Amino acid sequence: MKGKLLVPVLAVLALVGLAYWLLPKGSHSFYGTKLLNPKPVDFLLQSPSGPVRLGEMRGKLVLIFFGYVHCPDVCPTTMLALKRAYEALSPEEQNRVQVVFISVDPERDTPEIADQYAKGFHPRFLGLTGSPETIQEVARSLGVYYQKTQYRGPGEYLVDHTATTFVVLEGKLVLLFSPDKVEETQRVVADLRALL
Amino acid sequence: MRFFPLLLATLALAQPVAVPGWVRLVPSVVKDTAAYLTLENRGKTPLRLVGAETKVAERISLHQDHREHRGGQVVLGMRPLPYVDIPPRSKVEFRPGKYHLMLEGLKRPLKAGEKVELTLRFADGTRLKVILPVEMR
Repeated sequence: MKGKLLVPVLAVLALVGLAYWLLPKGSHSFYGTKLLNPKPVDFLLQSPSGPVRLGEMRGKLVLIFFGYVHCPDVCPTTMLALKRAYEALSPEEQNRVQVVFISVDPERDTPEIADQYAKGFHPRFLGLTGSPETIQEVARSLGVYYQKTQYRGPGEYLVDHTATTFVVLEGKLVLLFSPDKVEETQRVVADLRALL
Repeated sequence: MRFFPLLLATLALAQPVAVPGWVRLVPSVVKDTAAYLTLENRGKTPLRLVGAETKVAERISLHQDHREHRGGQVVLGMRPLPYVDIPPRSKVEFRPGKYHLMLEGLKRPLKAGEKVELTLRFADGTRLKVILPVEMR
């Protein structure tokens, strides 16, 4: 009885093994939302050391998050998630990744403040901002919404904003992480590695 | 003597218990931060948190996260709350994405690992001291 079963069992195992071996290698199932048609994006914003153009970061995977400095709950949650993902990469991989924080509150956040904020999470993160018109344009190009709320006076308000992390490769928007997905460090890192 | 059991009963009515969370360490350029903890009401009557104080900040306000969808993406923000109710025999979690105590106008930059004392104020006059560690998380 045992002998009769052995052959079919082995045959099934061999077929399963063959099927696994035949599976296309290197295919990665993205956790973030992959854009079927990568969208060209570019911007020129201000850093404390002068203007920065997204197009000049070619060769790097650029992770962009929009927020504002007077935001103690939502923004640090994603910035800390990006820090965890960045720190999980090897030094060589880190050289090919740039995390960018863009302030949607240019009235309060100067390029210096935005950059000090970003660097407070990781010294290699970059904080940028620009004129209200430029920020509006950049936000529109990426589908970012932001709106002042709870206005109590000049400098005393909150800002609602799109909390997506945008991934840009070779000047094209290729991947999005929702604020919930960006928390899953290992899966985010796997997505970034698949793009690097 | 017959008031004694009544007194005991009153004390047992609203019993706030705080399970410490943390005060978020934010880049020193920021003058606002958030504190997280879990508040439990072990009593039989509702408990209403109306405010809090700390020596390290100008004021503390209560906030709830606000979430909406725009253009298929998640838009986040926060809204101030005049109070937070903790129903009898239940808990309210102050954690990222839900409720937070916003420490506004930090009087000095906080340091990782230091302990911050908060005094929570409830509508019935109860005050509760909580000590929270400062952590970057």
